Amino acid sequence: MSDITIYSAKRILTMNRSNPLATHVAVRDGMILGAGALEDLTGWEPYTVDDRFAGKVLMPGMIEGHAHAMEGAVWQDEYVGYYDRVSPDGDSKPGLKSIDEVIDYLSKVDAAMDEPEEALIAWGFDPIYFGGRRMVAADLDRISSTRPILVVHASFHIVNVNTAVLTRANVTAETNVMGIMKDADGKVTGELQGMPARFIVTSAIGREHFVEMGQEGSLWRFARSAQLAGVTTSTDLANDFAEATLANMKKLTSRADYPLRIVPAFLSNTRPPEEGVEMVRRILPESSDKLRFGLVKMVSDGSIQGFTARLMEPGYYNGAPNGLWYIEPDEIPRILNAYHGAGLQVHVHTNGDQATDVVLDAMEDALREFPNPDARFTIQHCQMAHESHYRKMARLGVCANLFANHLFYWGDEHYEQTMGPERACRMNATGTAKRLGVPFTIHSDAPITPLAPLFTAWCAVNRTTVSGRVLGEEERISVEDALEAVTLGAAYTLKLDGEIGSIEAGKRADFAVLEDDPLEAGADGLKDVRVWGTVVGGEIFDNAAITGS
Amino acid sequence: MTQGDDRIPLTVIGGFLGAGKTTLLNRVLSDNHGIRFAVLVNDFGDLPVDTSLVTDHDGETLTFANGCLCCTMGDNLMKTLSDLAMRTEPPEHILIEASGVADPRPILDLGTLHPRLRRDLSLVLVDAETIHDRAEDVRLKETVDRQIAAADVILINKCDVVDEATVAAVRAWLRKRVPDAHIVETMQAAIPLDLVFAGDGSPEPMSRPVAANDHDHVDHGTQFRSVTVVPENPMTRLAIEQWMSVLPPSVLRVKGYIAAENDPGSVFLVQRVGNRLDLSVCPAQGKTPGVVFIGSADLPDADWIGRRCVA
Repeated sequence: MSDITIYSAKRILTMNRSNPLATHVAVRDGMILGAGALEDLTGWEPYTVDDRFAGKVLMPGMIEGHAHAMEGAVWQDEYVGYYDRVSPDGDSKPGLKSIDEVIDYLSKVDAAMDEPEEALIAWGFDPIYFGGRRMVAADLDRISSTRPILVVHASFHIVNVNTAVLTRANVTAETNVMGIMKDADGKVTGELQGMPARFIVTSAIGREHFVEMGQEGSLWRFARSAQLAGVTTSTDLANDFAEATLANMKKLTSRADYPLRIVPAFLSNTRPPEEGVEMVRRILPESSDKLRFGLVKMVSDGSIQGFTARLMEPGYYNGAPNGLWYIEPDEIPRILNAYHGAGLQVHVHTNGDQATDVVLDAMEDALREFPNPDARFTIQHCQMAHESHYRKMARLGVCANLFANHLFYWGDEHYEQTMGPERACRMNATGTAKRLGVPFTIHSDAPITPLAPLFTAWCAVNRTTVSGRVLGEEERISVEDALEAVTLGAAYTLKLDGEIGSIEAGKRADFAVLEDDPLEAGADGLKDVRVWGTVVGGEIFDNAAITGS
Repeated sequence: MTQGDDRIPLTVIGGFLGAGKTTLLNRVLSDNHGIRFAVLVNDFGDLPVDTSLVTDHDGETLTFANGCLCCTMGDNLMKTLSDLAMRTEPPEHILIEASGVADPRPILDLGTLHPRLRRDLSLVLVDAETIHDRAEDVRLKETVDRQIAAADVILINKCDVVDEATVAAVRAWLRKRVPDAHIVETMQAAIPLDLVFAGDGSPEPMSRPVAANDHDHVDHGTQFRSVTVVPENPMTRLAIEQWMSVLPPSVLRVKGYIAAENDPGSVFLVQRVGNRLDLSVCPAQGKTPGVVFIGSADLPDADWIGRRCVA
């Protein structure tokens, strides 16, 4: 007979509508036997009562429906973002408020490095906060003229390099290539984009840097980052199914001491769909309780702040030309049908409203061709969807995973530059989704923004931008709804709502263990709720073991 | 001084789904032309290849009876290109099939950046029957604009399925958008191999078209012409540049050797696609001076072109 443990807690927010609040939860073999008052659970015998969480608040382990395992890989490099950010080791990295601060910080890192030719790589840089001043090679040359230095922007689409990198890659003033920025005098500035950036960086450092996301160390950091935030399940929403990555994921998730369930979504864009279907089908039997295959991701357009999202009229507020398709719109139905027709669940990235429009039409057609009332197509980001789109999503049973963190980090730019006031105020319309009955969750897209669902929930509840502007009061949702979005809401989009997302009999014993009560913290305090640790399948993970405090 | 130019030319073939990219590439892979092309596609599945012509298939790469290779791009085009360039027997020319929504320019730029590659041609096919609707389609119009703007040479394809007035309208419409565009009309994407293949500069007589299939009754001679001009005197770089700058848009590709003034031991290797001229100097030994001009039906004659050559 297996041991039964009944955990007591200050309060348990179960997210189970028929039994919303509890003080105790009984667990056996990593599974929940029930939640309620102690006397509701003592029929499960023999039990022991464990009071270690007696002063804590439990809620279902949070579920991140749109993040990337790269969240673990980036932390092998130096963080130089504008905002404070917590590393997977629990260190709080202070935000750097000017280009000079970035240079000073990297100079210290440089001085501590032994090998003079070893590359120094930083990430998270965002010049949007520096009033138009861009970083140039000369800035980075102040740090070193021999060491290749790369500063990857927060978007991950742009990189600044020093002269040592340009020299290694033979880039000169005569190199006329899109994506290698030049100043008014025709001088290469050191800011690079797109394929040339990738090529130059690889030539300069002799390896493909961001292919390393699937290494064991990166996957450990990914899991720790999740644990610190109270996350027990995360997607890895653009996985190319590289063999090494899959092997490492299988190996680590089979360990009881690995604190994360991972749902890798196969990134369809790099493979023909017939091949992709085969790859996903082949790996399906290797799913386990902590590693779940079967999800497919398509990417239809670019990003709003990068002006590459596909928009309907009236287009970009500042007059920028319309963005880019990453899949030919007439091809979207064929690809969607290939996966959906094979019985696989498909999530599609759209940012602009035109992309959402085209993708929703394709989903409607796919559901007609291969009827499946529980397909749970999910539109990822879905930032600019109109109310008409939400009505259609509700009719079709299509879910939305909205990018609530965008409201805080780029909300002011959307208001002033990309979308203008009206459309900025209805971005990531959680209120509309809720009102019209569209199943939804909210996300961080980590490492683009920090993996921290309580912060993401705060964004959806308050819709406050960096400058303090409230972006669309009508679209705010309640604390309760936001907490449901980051638990059961996310589970639903992954078809895992029968297993995780609430604390109730028969579900996995996945908890976020909190020092503070999010309901008491309310709209203002939600983001400051302290996370003690997590419980994953009954295994207890204390954040102090990471932070050492 | 370099030994001519031993970098591998890189051509990008753009155009929407159905414009004829696959037809064109399929011919390159099937015909017996003796040139080792490598063709990079998004998807083998789209390519209705005659499997009897495939002599080897190792996952990512198909080898064809005519010596050509066909590979999928994978998620890392740059690595795929590097691997091709590093083969013991590297391809003589690389063709990349761009997806319908891809801007060909950044892909071609890889040819500028990679030390073993040379940017050659961006060839964009437009479907005479559907281009107008696509240009009006709110989902696609900017993509159409970008593609057309990125083309060194635009092929108006499927001219056999529309009437002459439609072709003329498409041509006028393209001309209005890109006044100096190099435009040529084709049927079933049948174009001369010499237009696609950069070669080593040797002025050869115009090859037969990249093969017509059985039900192809098009007289390619009416769509394409080529002429050869041998400059009487050695030329300077400046003089060659001036000569090339006066050529009309009907000139699609120029390739050949011209004796270098004040340097009897050297010749210029002239390579021009669209309006883009690439001049390099190489030893004269074994190089026969002469320049071939490949163009559409309205290409000027050799005499006209020759008279504009002022050494």
